[in-house]
Amino acid sequence: MNLSILKNKTSEEIGKHLDIKDRVTLLERLSTLGLPSKKNEAYRYFDVEKLLEKEYKILDNLPMSPKPSNKIEIKDGIVVAAPQGMRVYSEHCDKIDMDHFDPLYYLGHLLSPQTIKIELDGDVEVEIEHTFTQSDTLIHYRIVLYNQANRHATVYENFVHETIENTLVLYGYDMHIAQDSTLRVVKMQSMQHSGYSMIASHTINVAQNANALLKTFDIGSDQALQLFKITLDTHAHVDAGHLLYLNANAKRGTVSQIVHTGEYASSTQEAKNILDAQSRGIFDALIKVENTAKYTKAAQNSQAILLHDGAYMIAKPQLEIYIDELEASHGATIGQLDKQQLFYLESRGISHVEAKKILVIAFANTLIEQVKDSRQQERIKIAFEKAFYAGYSENSSLS
Amino acid sequence: MSSIMKIENLQAKIGDKEILKGLNLELEPGKVHAIMGPNGAGKSTLSKAIVGHYDVDVTDGNIIYKNQIINDIAPEKRALEGIFLSFQHPVEIPGVNNAYFLRTALNAKRKHEGKEELDAAAFLRLMKEYLTLLDMKSDMISRSLNVGFSGGEKKRNEILQMMLLEPEVIILDEIDSGLDIDALRAVSEGINKMKDGKRSFLVITHYSRILDYIKPDYIHVLKEGKIIKTAGPELVAQLEEHGYDGIEEE
Ligand SMILES: Nc1ncnc2c1ncn2[C@@H]1O[C@H](COP(=O)(O)OP(=O)(O)OP(=O)(O)O)[C@@H](O)[C@H]1O
Ligand SMILES: [Mg+2]
Repeated sequence: MNLSILKNKTSEEIGKHLDIKDRVTLLERLSTLGLPSKKNEAYRYFDVEKLLEKEYKILDNLPMSPKPSNKIEIKDGIVVAAPQGMRVYSEHCDKIDMDHFDPLYYLGHLLSPQTIKIELDGDVEVEIEHTFTQSDTLIHYRIVLYNQANRHATVYENFVHETIENTLVLYGYDMHIAQDSTLRVVKMQSMQHSGYSMIASHTINVAQNANALLKTFDIGSDQALQLFKITLDTHAHVDAGHLLYLNANAKRGTVSQIVHTGEYASSTQEAKNILDAQSRGIFDALIKVENTAKYTKAAQNSQAILLHDGAYMIAKPQLEIYIDELEASHGATIGQLDKQQLFYLESRGISHVEAKKILVIAFANTLIEQVKDSRQQERIKIAFEKAFYAGYSENSSLS
Repeated sequence: MSSIMKIENLQAKIGDKEILKGLNLELEPGKVHAIMGPNGAGKSTLSKAIVGHYDVDVTDGNIIYKNQIINDIAPEKRALEGIFLSFQHPVEIPGVNNAYFLRTALNAKRKHEGKEELDAAAFLRLMKEYLTLLDMKSDMISRSLNVGFSGGEKKRNEILQMMLLEPEVIILDEIDSGLDIDALRAVSEGINKMKDGKRSFLVITHYSRILDYIKPDYIHVLKEGKIIKTAGPELVAQLEEHGYDGIEEE
């Protein structure tokens, strides 16, 4: 299958190509937004066309009964293992966000009518591990995730892959964070010439008085974009943090919309970006405050450190407000490592590379330390160091 | 007596400005050399040139350490070979734990010398000893490197690094500025402890007080980018009384 044939097509034509007769509203949304290209706001800085133009195999997404495991294991879009007693099953998605900005959110839903539904029971902590094993394949799946009211659940998301090439992964969450609950999501994706690209398109609804903590750690090379739409109800809160550490020719980052719809909701979003070699980092983030969202508090900030002349950061924090009773701040900085600090470390016999590493980790640490689980934290640190040294063996920034 | 470090006709610029204008200086092993001189004379520039600071552009002359010209040697190599500068203004590095930094520096040095790296426990034992000696609060090493340290605490932390790294040429750039009387005594004791008859010290200062504690063998006057006078410790009193105006190049 070649997705680019869906370009500039009517909803009927798209339906015909995908062999879908019902789901007219979804087809219409996709047709209206159009298959992403450079002209599409959300994909302007990401070479999406090249990814969509390739010829991909499609797998038959036949659900199977998962083996018992200590984590949820999703292999090429199919749940192959799950903790015993955890409610993970295949289901038609009935609640689709009809107001998402991302056309691929709709394409994802159209391609994957059967979604993986996960219901988090109580104060659980669960790891979701995504594995990719197929080359030249469009791996597509959607996950619907619910937690329970008044509960505090945590999800750790990790990604592994076998030796593959030319695969595109199109997946994403529909998350429904229940009233008075807390859901903490920690995503760690380390890709180093992984053989796959990824577009992850999520929608996250945060109900009244609920708390969403969303920490993403994107490390290494390759091409991957995460797109979020987060909707906040009354007194809801989101705390989003994004760490990007890129090397080689990576093109990765975040495109997000945080939409304040209820009163007294608050959002903080912090991006820390470290870019080496010829990498490109993306932080294109809109906070939208609707006219119903009085007394909103929103803070957004992006900091980038460029380690190499060839690296490039696109930082676009934006605020769109339809009300004036709010507190909002946003800003973005781009700089280099502090020469004085580097020299101080070197003057004590620490090598230039180690000194750089120490400063880069110090910069990233405020985000890494927010991961409470020490095993997960260690995992992030290891991936981070690995990517740091990988960057050095491959490019010329060793100067 | 052969010198451990010899600086010959050193000329150096910062930006477009010539600061050192043919400076000569020899450091003898086991001796304490004090450098005094007016503000802006080039004392810190000299110390930075010796450790290879990026600000300083050496345009002529040589810095010779243990019979080797080190003008083009990387700063970390100079440090590993035993040159240490206690900075006039140590930088703050948020997010870098002081103990982690100290241990990394120590282990880099040990590795360079072919010794085994020190584990966290052995390191902490060593630290305890030095902290007591320097009268430092134990939380100083669990905090971020120099962040929010008072002037005196920063200077003590410099001395702590000196003691840990056991360098052979020790340059102290105004180690005494901003120290209260007790701190000055503690820091001086740390320095005196390091005297072993081989190490050589270059103490940059404006005041005689520290020199009462760490008895200098030589006083050098640095003015307008040159050492214009070298004498014994008796010169200090004269300088205190008459300042630098009366000193003429010898
Ligand atoms: N980074 C810099 N950029 C421009 N000029 C500099 C820089 N650093 C030092 N200078 C200049 O070089 C000259 C010598 O400075 P230096 O710091 O070596 O003096 P010093 O003898 O240590 O003085 P003090 O006793 O005040 O510490 C001064 O005129 C100073 O302004
Ligand atoms: Mg000075």
